[in-house]
Amino acid sequence: MIDIRNVSKVFNTGRPNEFTAIAGISLHLSLQETTVLKGPSGSGKTTLLSLIGCMTRPTSGRIFIDNREITSLPERFLTGIRRTTFGFIFQRFNLLRGFTALENVMAPALPEGEKYAPLKKRAIDILGMLDLDHRYDAKAEWLSGGEAQRVAIARALINNPSIIIADEPTAHLDGKLSGEFLSIMEILKGEGKTIIIASHDPLVYESTLADRIVEIRHGEIGGDGALP
Amino acid sequence: MSRSIERQLHLIDFTVGSILRRKGKNGALLLVYTLVIFVLASVLFFTRSLRTEVAAVLKNSPDIIVQRTLTGRYQFIPVRYADSLRSIRGIASIAPRLWGYYYDGGFGANYTLMVPTIDTVQSGTIDIGSGIAKLRKIGIGDIVPLIGYDGNPQTFTVAHILADESALVSADLILMSEADYRVFSRIPEGYATDLILTARNPREFPTIAEKITRLLPDTRPIVKNEILRTYDAVFSWRAGIIMLLFTVVILAFFIFSFDKATGLSAEERKEIGILKAIGWETGDVLAMKFWEGIAISLVAFFLGAIIAYAHVFFGGGFLFAPILKGWSTLYPSFTLAAHVNAGDLFALFFLSVVPYTIATIAPAWRVAVIDPDAVMR
Repeated sequence: MIDIRNVSKVFNTGRPNEFTAIAGISLHLSLQETTVLKGPSGSGKTTLLSLIGCMTRPTSGRIFIDNREITSLPERFLTGIRRTTFGFIFQRFNLLRGFTALENVMAPALPEGEKYAPLKKRAIDILGMLDLDHRYDAKAEWLSGGEAQRVAIARALINNPSIIIADEPTAHLDGKLSGEFLSIMEILKGEGKTIIIASHDPLVYESTLADRIVEIRHGEIGGDGALP
Repeated sequence: MSRSIERQLHLIDFTVGSILRRKGKNGALLLVYTLVIFVLASVLFFTRSLRTEVAAVLKNSPDIIVQRTLTGRYQFIPVRYADSLRSIRGIASIAPRLWGYYYDGGFGANYTLMVPTIDTVQSGTIDIGSGIAKLRKIGIGDIVPLIGYDGNPQTFTVAHILADESALVSADLILMSEADYRVFSRIPEGYATDLILTARNPREFPTIAEKITRLLPDTRPIVKNEILRTYDAVFSWRAGIIMLLFTVVILAFFIFSFDKATGLSAEERKEIGILKAIGWETGDVLAMKFWEGIAISLVAFFLGAIIAYAHVFFGGGFLFAPILKGWSTLYPSFTLAAHVNAGDLFALFFLSVVPYTIATIAPAWRVAVIDPDAVMR
């Protein structure tokens, strides 16, 4: 269970450009389900994902993951949770240019201090699962849009996280690649992963992948309901 | 192997990959960095080695040299002056010395001619330094013509090549018998070039020198410590000139490296954000930047120091030798014995590797402590 209790996030506090991205949201997300955070640009979806994914701290309120409060943890522990519990798929994939697909996939696992050979094998296996085993030594900038997306997914899976967080994953993909992405997420869902996606793409929130859609507007929950 | 070592190895591996991505930029930085280290290390090696050589020369030199002057100009000294000086307390030994310079026009080199005070050289033969042997391509048994005071050549047979314990001591040296030297130079019997004195207590040198001047007012005593001080000052001064010339280069380098290290590009900032977002701690990012600074500065340090070593001790320091050696370039060429001071290298290391590494870490720290959610936007 991911338990979000009365969480707010205010940027530039006390300055003329202060703005509230999240205004007192409370939400309970079940594990092993797929939740889609739906809403227009600037509604606060990405900020909520960042808060759930331990990338930033709320200005007020608390977040619990499996009954463990994460909001008051020191940065080091927060990073550890981020690394082992979450796998991130960013809007623009955010691959490291100049590094190969394999190096990009391995990057989140490097601070774990795992032996190189098994780590490399695992990365190649994941790339193979996503039909990219032939492109593992290609630099990130040489990859096509679809390949870059699958490398980003492989990177999110390298530490075997229980929760996958994806921010507007189909924003820069055509219909075919978006379909491929959803198929991969279906497989991961089948493996018991919890998936949280922020998207305003109907292809995503109208897909069979979504168990629950949470609508966000102006930093508040506008509509929340489990799909029939 | 523990996980923390494995983790550092992963970070080093990642850092090397990161450096190699920007070959042009990092290559240029490495080149300039190496050049600066090379210049600094060359000057350090050169001056240190010259000083050590000079100290070696002076170690075996007499404690006090007494010369005779007339209206301030040098004159031959009567050997009988030695008898007058024996009455001064504290003097252990006095001996007359015959020596002088010889300019070899054919080879454009200056030699030092000397009559040995301890060993003897047979009449008609000479012992020569390794520098002369190499310069004139001669060996034992070869006949060498030398132009005497009257302009006529006199021939000598090479009997020995002097062992070059210190090239600076013996490279340009020719030893000949007293009789031959007097004929060759026309220094009359009863006169010598100077008198050499040894004293029991170095602290008495100034007192003895003062007594010599009082006893023989037309003489000039030269104390060993003063020569050492003069040489030291001359080399320090010459090294200072080089350093001054390259201060501009060093300053330019510091501005360049400071700018490179402190100003993270937008791409580098984004990369740090991505690494933090995918689970790297601030400490991991700083460790990566630390290894980056160490890798570049250490490679530059070793490259610069090794090239400087080869330049000074194998190449004779050909780039700076004209300034550092001054008039002594007229000597036959000699290779400096390799004297490297660990303290100098340590100082060079701390002045180059440490500031650059810190300059690399500092800006990364400012970025790495920011919440990684910036990369989501």
